[in-house]
Amino acid sequence: MSLELKPKRWAGAIREVTLGSGSRRPVTVGGGNGLPLHTFEASFPHRPVFALEITDVAPPRWIDTVRQPWNGVLGQPAAAARRAVDEFGADLVMLHLMGTHPDRGNRSPDDAAADVRAVLESVRVPLIVKGPGAGPKQNDVLARVAEECQGEGLVLHSACQEEYKTLAAVAVAYGHVLVAESPIDMNIAKQLNILLSDASMDLRHTLIDPLTGGLGYGLEYTYSVMERIRLAALGGDAMLSSPMICLVGEEAWKAKEVKVSGGVHWEVATALTLIEAGAEVLVLRHPEALARLRKQVDCWFGGETCR
Amino acid sequence: MPLTGLQVFKLLPNTNCRECGYPTCLAFAMKLAAGKESLEKCPYASPEACAALGAASAPPIRGVTIGRGPRAITVGEETVFFRHEKTFVRRPGLFRVLNPASDRDTLLDSWRALRIDRAGETFQVDGVAIPESPGSPDDAAAAAERGFPVALLAATPQGASAMAERIKDHRPLLVPPPGADLGAYAGLAARLGVPLVVSGADLNALATAAMDATRAGVADILLEPPGADLCGLHHNLSGIRRCALDRIHPGLGHPVFLRIAAGEFEKAVLGITKFASLLAIEDHGGETWLPLWTLRQNIYTDPQKPLQMQPGVYSIGEPDAKSPLLVTTNFSLTYFIVSTELEATGLACHLAVVDAEGLSVLTAWSAGKFSGDRVAKSLRAMQATERVSHRTAIIPGYVSVISGELEDALGDGWRVLVGPQEASDIAPFLRDVWETVFR
Ligand code: B12
Ligand code: SF4
Repeated sequence: MSLELKPKRWAGAIREVTLGSGSRRPVTVGGGNGLPLHTFEASFPHRPVFALEITDVAPPRWIDTVRQPWNGVLGQPAAAARRAVDEFGADLVMLHLMGTHPDRGNRSPDDAAADVRAVLESVRVPLIVKGPGAGPKQNDVLARVAEECQGEGLVLHSACQEEYKTLAAVAVAYGHVLVAESPIDMNIAKQLNILLSDASMDLRHTLIDPLTGGLGYGLEYTYSVMERIRLAALGGDAMLSSPMICLVGEEAWKAKEVKVSGGVHWEVATALTLIEAGAEVLVLRHPEALARLRKQVDCWFGGETCR
Repeated sequence: MPLTGLQVFKLLPNTNCRECGYPTCLAFAMKLAAGKESLEKCPYASPEACAALGAASAPPIRGVTIGRGPRAITVGEETVFFRHEKTFVRRPGLFRVLNPASDRDTLLDSWRALRIDRAGETFQVDGVAIPESPGSPDDAAAAAERGFPVALLAATPQGASAMAERIKDHRPLLVPPPGADLGAYAGLAARLGVPLVVSGADLNALATAAMDATRAGVADILLEPPGADLCGLHHNLSGIRRCALDRIHPGLGHPVFLRIAAGEFEKAVLGITKFASLLAIEDHGGETWLPLWTLRQNIYTDPQKPLQMQPGVYSIGEPDAKSPLLVTTNFSLTYFIVSTELEATGLACHLAVVDAEGLSVLTAWSAGKFSGDRVAKSLRAMQATERVSHRTAIIPGYVSVISGELEDALGDGWRVLVGPQEASDIAPFLRDVWETVFR
């Protein structure tokens, strides 16, 4: 009996989304027409990409292991961005405007816009901008940043089911990409994309953040929800076929185990598992995790490190 | 692949004699196909029908047991490609490679004693892999005597035989070097009745090797897939699982074995997530093992049924009526984190674990399982309110919004104190707030 492994063909494919425009060197993700990493039977015009997370103010909760590579530039976004790109080889940078949160300094939308500008001037990679989180401040900050950086194709993180209209409007008006976040729930992910298209957002400018639980802290849920979202997209559901972004570092470094056991392993295990489940934009905190993951990803997508 | 009702029907006599308890053969066939009846109820079923049904209902991936006694481990028997279709059932065995060492016995004793409790599961060393060396038969015996399932990483047929003969009653797993000529090893495994790992340069060769081993009389087989890098390995792991489930080749319906050399952490991650059943890992430190154990726990937990604690009042240390009373949910992970933090404070206290259907604090609250009313009812039902004289309950910071409602629902002069959001801040909180205000 001889063995024949027929390639699986799917009705749908992942939508191509380009991050960054204007003065950015754009990065495109998506476009794959098979299960994640199944390069043996499907085609993938773009590989998963890695962002490093930087912050507008010194991050109070980061532990030493993850602070150490950023010594001297923590809370200095322009310098940190340069280090992320020039030294650590990040494909993108995520600026987390944590200092705009009412409890963490309450910096103003104008301060935020100035920080984003400074980062745009220091590096040429596309920029993800994460707001302070829920509440009215999220919209105030991101809307101001969107306006200030018109045409730069920023990735605005993020809109949710309860609060998406303002951000959809500014993303369309000023030419940015919008992240649609849903709490580990495929139906909400779909619903939110429907709402965004109704709000005249072209889904070619959106990413899904399925919300990540770190290793040991909810990864099991995220993993299956992402696999199901991918299967639905490949089955032809256009409302779920946006590429997925995962804020890996933020979740992985929250684990209490990272204090006693190797944190970089924790971040790598979380990220690699999420890539298997379909993540294509991974936001990391530790440059060593980035280097290790890059080496593996190159192995699937024809880099030089492996073959 | 399972048979359809009509296919089963064609195997029955179609006399509608009703002795099976169904009005027609067709009705019985439908139940059979759905797996809800057994063929024994029809006295007239032909041997061919029995054979066909038996083969169709055999699990697509065979189960293999390694070792004997309480620590014996069974792997395989998986039935799905995606975990959400059903669940994964058999956690992969994580074996430690024991390199020749002078302090072998101390090492093995410490591995045997190792137990790490995490969120409702106990992590331990599942088995020991012994690389062939002049002393390896003794090493294998030392591991087997301590109750460990043993994998024998052979280099030569002679070495394999020396090790396997020595512990043949302990059902070791025989692992020839990759690419070795199978003959001698298969003969040994068949003669001793122990499971065998087969390898091959590609999936075809692998399947053929497994068929050869079966023909040589080996009953239990594991597959060691080729893969020079993670991409190639992933391709083969996915291919094996798909072929097994679709019953494309009977030679691939076996569990998978992987060697993880020192530093190959990413390979172990891929193996655990993508279908490997037994990993022989050379790294020793907790840096490698804790994330791998945790990953296995995540991937092999049924997400439909989160690991849960029995609701009730748990004692941390030896609390009395003046000790703090803290409230949390019965999600194992939540309990695990909060209780370890509390233990670290060295302060005795009561931890009331409320039935929130196994959800974390915020998830439970959003799902309406951790409202003030519900928590109050639950605290009363478990008589938590009678354990302390100070009438103060400490709730997680993330659900500060329920404090008023909970105070009202508890009544009787009870007050609710909002604790910190993260469990890691509990120690300073108890020191500063509880100690100063309430002592
Ligand atoms: C995994 C997860 C799920 C899993 C459930 C897992 C489970 N068994 O609970 C699933 C996918 C099923 C799920 C579902 C939902 N989820 Co959910 N989920 C998460 C996620 C990612 C992690 C939760 C977790 O496991 N945390 C780890 C545990 C250990 O944390 P914890 O219980 O809070 O315990 C900590 C503290 O509270 C503290 N603590 C605990 N007890 C005590 C006691 C005292 C006295 C003190 C002082 C401290 C303390 O210590 C712990 C460690 O610091 C979070 C987001 C996130 N990253 O946190 C969202 C999150 C909790 N989910 C959310 C939502 C909205 C939902 C849904 C309602 C969404 C939906 N519509 O489907 C549903 C509801 C479920 C239902 N049955 O209807 C929201 C809640 C929003 C809010 N602010 O209320 C979150 C925050 C995500 C978000 N940002 O939107 N979720
Ligand atoms: S006992 Fe057998 S032959 Fe008789 S009705 Fe049932 S299935 Fe048909």
